[in-house]
Amino acid sequence: MARMKFLCDVERCIDCGGCVVACKEGHHVPVGVNRRRVITLKEGEPGEKSISVSCMHCADAPCIAVCPVDAIYQRADGIVLVSKKTCIGCGYCFMACPFGAPQFPSGNVFGRRGAMDKCTFCAGGPEETFSKEEKNLYGQNRIAEGKPPLCAGMCATKALLAGDADVVADVYRERVFQRGSGVNAWGWNKAYKKK
Amino acid sequence: MQRGILSVFLLTIILVAGLGVEASAQEGLAISGLSAGSSADYYQMMIDLVSGHWQKYGQLFTTLQGQWFGKLFLAVIIAIPAIFLLHYLIIGAKHFGHDGEQIYFFTLLNRIVHVFAAISFTLLVVTGLLTIFGSVFGGGTFIRTARTVHLVSAMVFVFPCFLMFIMWFKDMLPRMYDISWMFMLGGYLSKEKKPVPAGKFNGGQKGYFWFATLGGAVMAYTGFIIWGFGADLDTIRLYTIIHNFLGAAIVAFYLTHVYMSVFAIAGSLESMKTGYKSKDEVDILHSRYDYN
Repeated sequence: MARMKFLCDVERCIDCGGCVVACKEGHHVPVGVNRRRVITLKEGEPGEKSISVSCMHCADAPCIAVCPVDAIYQRADGIVLVSKKTCIGCGYCFMACPFGAPQFPSGNVFGRRGAMDKCTFCAGGPEETFSKEEKNLYGQNRIAEGKPPLCAGMCATKALLAGDADVVADVYRERVFQRGSGVNAWGWNKAYKKK
Repeated sequence: MQRGILSVFLLTIILVAGLGVEASAQEGLAISGLSAGSSADYYQMMIDLVSGHWQKYGQLFTTLQGQWFGKLFLAVIIAIPAIFLLHYLIIGAKHFGHDGEQIYFFTLLNRIVHVFAAISFTLLVVTGLLTIFGSVFGGGTFIRTARTVHLVSAMVFVFPCFLMFIMWFKDMLPRMYDISWMFMLGGYLSKEKKPVPAGKFNGGQKGYFWFATLGGAVMAYTGFIIWGFGADLDTIRLYTIIHNFLGAAIVAFYLTHVYMSVFAIAGSLESMKTGYKSKDEVDILHSRYDYN
């Protein structure tokens, strides 16, 4: 089975924020929650680079390891999903995540964190596929529709790649070869290297 | 002549401009040479921005929470009651006559403060353990409510905790004979009723007192920060680790305290209701206490 991965080509990302807006609008993500964001390093200096970051859907994901209620799980295709009905909002996944992906809506009683929200790779959640409940809790299920995630589909420079890991790696390898630059994909070792 | 001057002038301009261009090109090279970082450097910068010192604290937290905290608490809540069950079966409870002379041991204020502390503290322990073993109960609304109760009980506990600290501070200061009390484990390993060296409170009670009050203050503060994410991420990770380790120690003391008061010394719970302990009991278990 195909293994789903994200890859952001930092030589192409132009910090337009299209991926962030596409995700937030497409899934009606609540205020204060960003499933994806663009980080710009050395802004205004020589060597400025931007990268779009979200949940990387890691192999051996630390969030799954620390969740005290087993609310987070990984599908056979590598996509890491959360059950918002099980989640208690303790925030341990946020402490364990190297990419700062888990987000928590605020505004509950006693300032309690709501159920964790993060990138679903546009694959919905544990509720019935295409059900109203799934859409309300997790947004669109584009993977089940056979479409790529919104962010990558929307990316104007095709910096953000999403899909079958082998295809993504091939596209990136060809780009690196053509450019002649030997830059590694940021975060791939952290997210996908098996220990 | 004029043409000659003009051509020299133009030549000068071209030469100067050329030098300038080359200089700026070299400058550009120097800048790009300085700023060129490896992808690992960039990645490290990004991680620092989004999740702090993950290698240092995030990984530590992941290992501890992912593999050890659950086992630690499971060991505490199984091993300690198991040891006490054995103690109860083999050595059994201590019985003292409750009909003889009575000694006024706890004032009304002591008892009221203690009952508030007992209820809120028990709720803290139970809801804390529910959260740790949340997967057993399937998470969801039940565990979410447990977390809310945990917060409210903590807010309640702060008051009796502070009052207990003030009213028992003097009696709880460690004394030399507490060491010998600890070496003989309070005399609980024998059925004999020999006077054990202890003041108004014995070595074990003193240990529990300091863990519950000072430790409780640390638990309250770290818990408050964790609840609201009121610090930077690395501090939150560190506080969560402290909260869990200290919590395990306090739960161990709590279970001991419950066993001692409810089972190990028959009828000793009465003193927290009425305020009186029998002279018989005090002379043995608190032999150094001057009640006159």
